[in-house]
Amino acid sequence: MPTREPKVLVNEVSVTFESRGRSVVALDRISLQAHAGEFLCIVGPSGSGKSTLLRVLAGLHRQSSGDVRIQADRPGTPLTAMVFQEHALLPWRTVRDNVTFGPENRGVGRVEREARAREMLAMVGLARFAQHYPHQLSGGMKQRVGIARALANDPEVLLMDEPLAALDAQTRTIMQEELLRIWATLGKTVVYVTHSLEEALLLGDRVVLLTARPGRVSQIYPVDLGRPRGLEVRASPAYGALLETIWSRLREEVVRAIEADRGADPEAIGG
Amino acid sequence: MKAVGRWLAEHWITIGSPIVLLYVWEWASASGLLRAAFFPRPSTIVDHLRDLAVDGTLWGHAATTLVRIGWSFSLAAILGVAIGLAMGLWRRLREGLDPVFAVIYPIPSVLFLPLVSFLVPPGEIALVVTASVTSFFLIAFTTTHGVRQIDRLVVEAARHYGATGWRLFAAVLLPGALPFIFTGLRLGLGFALIVVVAVEIVSASRGLGALLWLSWQVLKVEDMYATFFVIALLGALLSYGLAALRARLLPWVPDAGDR
Repeated sequence: MPTREPKVLVNEVSVTFESRGRSVVALDRISLQAHAGEFLCIVGPSGSGKSTLLRVLAGLHRQSSGDVRIQADRPGTPLTAMVFQEHALLPWRTVRDNVTFGPENRGVGRVEREARAREMLAMVGLARFAQHYPHQLSGGMKQRVGIARALANDPEVLLMDEPLAALDAQTRTIMQEELLRIWATLGKTVVYVTHSLEEALLLGDRVVLLTARPGRVSQIYPVDLGRPRGLEVRASPAYGALLETIWSRLREEVVRAIEADRGADPEAIGG
Repeated sequence: MKAVGRWLAEHWITIGSPIVLLYVWEWASASGLLRAAFFPRPSTIVDHLRDLAVDGTLWGHAATTLVRIGWSFSLAAILGVAIGLAMGLWRRLREGLDPVFAVIYPIPSVLFLPLVSFLVPPGEIALVVTASVTSFFLIAFTTTHGVRQIDRLVVEAARHYGATGWRLFAAVLLPGALPFIFTGLRLGLGFALIVVVAVEIVSASRGLGALLWLSWQVLKVEDMYATFFVIALLGALLSYGLAALRARLLPWVPDAGDR
């Protein structure tokens, strides 16, 4: 079980986008926290601002108001490292050089960063592919590199933005098991955005449900399905009951999101 | 041996088509279908080519042309890549230079010769500068585009992993633009050759262009064709050379690395 010490503290965070003279509220006073070592999943309908929230945590986007605090326990390592949905590897660097990229930018010595890269590549099962280029790898392998690259920075918090969404169903299932294994080994705090409730229940300690735009925290559900957890959890009655509970709430939000999209059209045309 | 066979099996049409064309030509001139005075038989042209090579005429002119191409291309490449990168990085510069480039670029380069001759010493330097104009624009355009087409997500990821300033340029923006820079260099090299030869035709006494024009004026048609052939071969060699260099230097570009 994760300890109760808060690692990530999100307090009343709002994000407003300006587009064509109108401002759109993407996130509305979001407050949540992730404990050290916790696997926190964030789900919500499209446009609920899940990815925006992650980008704020990563420092890629500045919130309009509110604050984010990440507890730094080890000086010298970055607060966050992000695994991007479209992997976003540097095509001109080999697998190994992609993994060493972060440490290299921080001035970590060659021997040290390459040892670290070897360790992380072994962990994601790509030790033999260190000298390959990204275009020589399959989608699942590229995402493994993306995970190794993030882990090589030894961040306080690992951020994952729908990392498996672009993969085929079978590869995704394998990768989910891999993620559980890696997380169990390293004990990292993870904030994981997904549109798949099933994935959130398989991986997460808690599931944060966001509302349709503007994104607010609808509810936070603890996932008491035991650890270590594997795919067999899907057969348990507790899993089915929790899935049903959260889905009925999520469904409302998805319908609301769809209706909002429909409603926006005539307004946009008729002014 | 087996590899050669496989290569031939794959490329027979590439090798075969020029050979067939030459045979048809040979037959057409020999049979009188083409006037041999204007379209001499390829076999005669080869004899003349050998004579030009043996008496050294060809090498002198070819060396002159190659040196001129070398200078023009280097000038165009250095300025084109530098300014192209700057335009790719800074929007203001791009917006300022784009209209100027758009006006100058389509002007046939040879027309710059008189203008350039006012600005720099006429003769060798004017020729080299003139031949570098179009080449420069091509390289600058492709380089600018090369910087602009880099996946924003990749740049964002690189920033997230701590690449800023010089590191971002050297490790992300420059390598990201390189495939396009190489395309620009290849096009630019071709244009440097075209314009060097064209300027040699109008204004020089040495070089392959001058040799070609001289041969034509004294109706040494076989020599003209021989020179023609050498220019074409030079162009092909330079282009393939650069393509091979690209494949070696950019192993991460899918179609360049697998070939």
